[in-house]
Amino acid sequence: MNPRSCVNIHKEWDIVGARQLGREMAKEIGFGTVDQARIATAVSELARNIYLYAKNGQVCFEYIYTNSQKGILMTAVDTGPGIKDISRVMQDGYTTSGGLGAGLPGVKRLMDEFDIESAAGEGTKIKAIKWIR
Amino acid sequence: MRIPILKLHNYLLISIQTEIDDQTAIKFQEDLLAKIHKTGATGVVIDLTSVDIIDSFIAKVLGDVVSMSDLMGARVVLTGIQPAVAMTLIDLGIHLQNVPTALDLEQGLVKLHQELGG
Amino acid sequence: MDANLKELMISNSDSIVDSWMDEVGRIKSGNYTASISDELYENTNREFVNVIFTSIQNQGSSKVVEEFSEKMINLGWPLSYITDGLQVFRRVTIEFLLKQADQVDSSHFSNVLTSVDEWIEPLIRQLVNEYSGSWENILSLQRVALQELSAPLIPVMEGITVMPLIGTIDTDRAKLIMENLLEGAIKHNSEVVLIDITGVPVVDTMVAHHIIQAAEAVRLIGSTCILVGIRPEIAQTIINIGIDLSKFPTRSSLKKGFTRALEITGRTVVDLPSKNQGIDEIMNALKGE
Ligand SMILES: Nc1ncnc2c1ncn2[C@@H]1O[C@H](COP(=O)(O)OP(=O)(O)O)[C@@H](O)[C@H]1O
Ligand SMILES: [Mg+2]
Repeated sequence: MNPRSCVNIHKEWDIVGARQLGREMAKEIGFGTVDQARIATAVSELARNIYLYAKNGQVCFEYIYTNSQKGILMTAVDTGPGIKDISRVMQDGYTTSGGLGAGLPGVKRLMDEFDIESAAGEGTKIKAIKWIR
Repeated sequence: MRIPILKLHNYLLISIQTEIDDQTAIKFQEDLLAKIHKTGATGVVIDLTSVDIIDSFIAKVLGDVVSMSDLMGARVVLTGIQPAVAMTLIDLGIHLQNVPTALDLEQGLVKLHQELGG
Repeated sequence: MDANLKELMISNSDSIVDSWMDEVGRIKSGNYTASISDELYENTNREFVNVIFTSIQNQGSSKVVEEFSEKMINLGWPLSYITDGLQVFRRVTIEFLLKQADQVDSSHFSNVLTSVDEWIEPLIRQLVNEYSGSWENILSLQRVALQELSAPLIPVMEGITVMPLIGTIDTDRAKLIMENLLEGAIKHNSEVVLIDITGVPVVDTMVAHHIIQAAEAVRLIGSTCILVGIRPEIAQTIINIGIDLSKFPTRSSLKKGFTRALEITGRTVVDLPSKNQGIDEIMNALKGE
């Protein structure tokens, strides 16, 4: 059984909905409270980026299992403007919106694995995994 | 949703009890500055004991509200930041360096009292 | 019928035990228990088969079984020894009982099978439960022990807590340390937390980074972090690799850090008139006479 649950992001309140779902699923599979907070925060960052920069998109969660580990995979997809220079947005403090520029580099540190694909004009897809310690 | 702000002598006390969404955060910023202006408060304690997530947006609002209050002559202390929240803030690279902190509301008041020499 | 079978089995326990000992003795060669001395193996077998009989006789008396399994677990005998032994017992007993009848029809056959299963079932269940219960115990105990060993937190007095760090710090441990540190600081309501790095052998950039992060997190929850136990060579590395520790109070020793912690929490150390002073005064008094 490996359900995949998604939240559509198009209004601000959806950010709260997404992080609640992320936390709920993290708790369910056995993450401790600190990792639950890490995951919920990462969701919040990605969902807000979709809302701010792409207007519309989706954040999905699923459980993943290997022989020795289990964890949660989250995928944030949008069809917004995309990101031209990925290495630049991954730097601490880089922002185009007067934010803190802490979101993307932060998500990378909050999670165990992080992958970003983006093409200008086509949209952005970010995958991040957290394993249960 | 509106976050209530209480007045106690020269101080304002805020205990955030709800999950903060962006609008609530921004509204809170406005409300607090207005209240400082109206009351001439010299100190503010914002208690975050019940807050279980602070992302970079909320952190920015909080950091800004501290600097803005400072400009208006009111010192702000943040209290009750939970361990999990502190750790996620560190991971985000947000250190709130110039923001005074205390363990709980009571100690926040003590800290204000000491710093403001009142 | 069942009662008869049971009686039959009990009254012939000697011969059942003999065939059981025989078979179990044969299993020994070439498996997990091969390294155990023949004598110990035989004694254990005898004890085991006695436990089986007692348990069946008392319709699943759990006390003997509990004692036996506890002993086996403590001595580290594998669960497979127990399950193999019980399987053999089932086979041997069934064989024996069937042989006793002049005629074996299907109803007798199934009767024997069910009866023997009924005798053995509760035993298997209990033994396996005891075994798995104890593993869970041991595992969680070890986990807790490891956690405590790796990041102990000592509340020395009201408002002041010390965390001595010992050994190498890697990323996983750093996270654990940070969690313990923050949760402990809140639990003990610590205004000041002293992190003592005397026991950390090497402070490289990564270790320093983790320590700084911990100190920053401590500040966020509202207490003050003092870094103590900074040996000369650590001070040198920290400056040479350009780490900025200026934001945090640091002290060379735990003692100095503790004095600072007392100041922060509004306390001072006062010397009480000591014995020596008393003697000095007496000497002076004597001289004056
Ligand atoms: N989904 C996205 N689509 C397009 N651009 C994005 C997206 N997410 C992030 N960006 C760009 O990356 C920059 C850095 O994002 P982030 O690290 O979250 O910081 P912040 O949101 O505070 O600016 C943003 O300012 C924006 O220009
Ligand atoms: Mg962002």
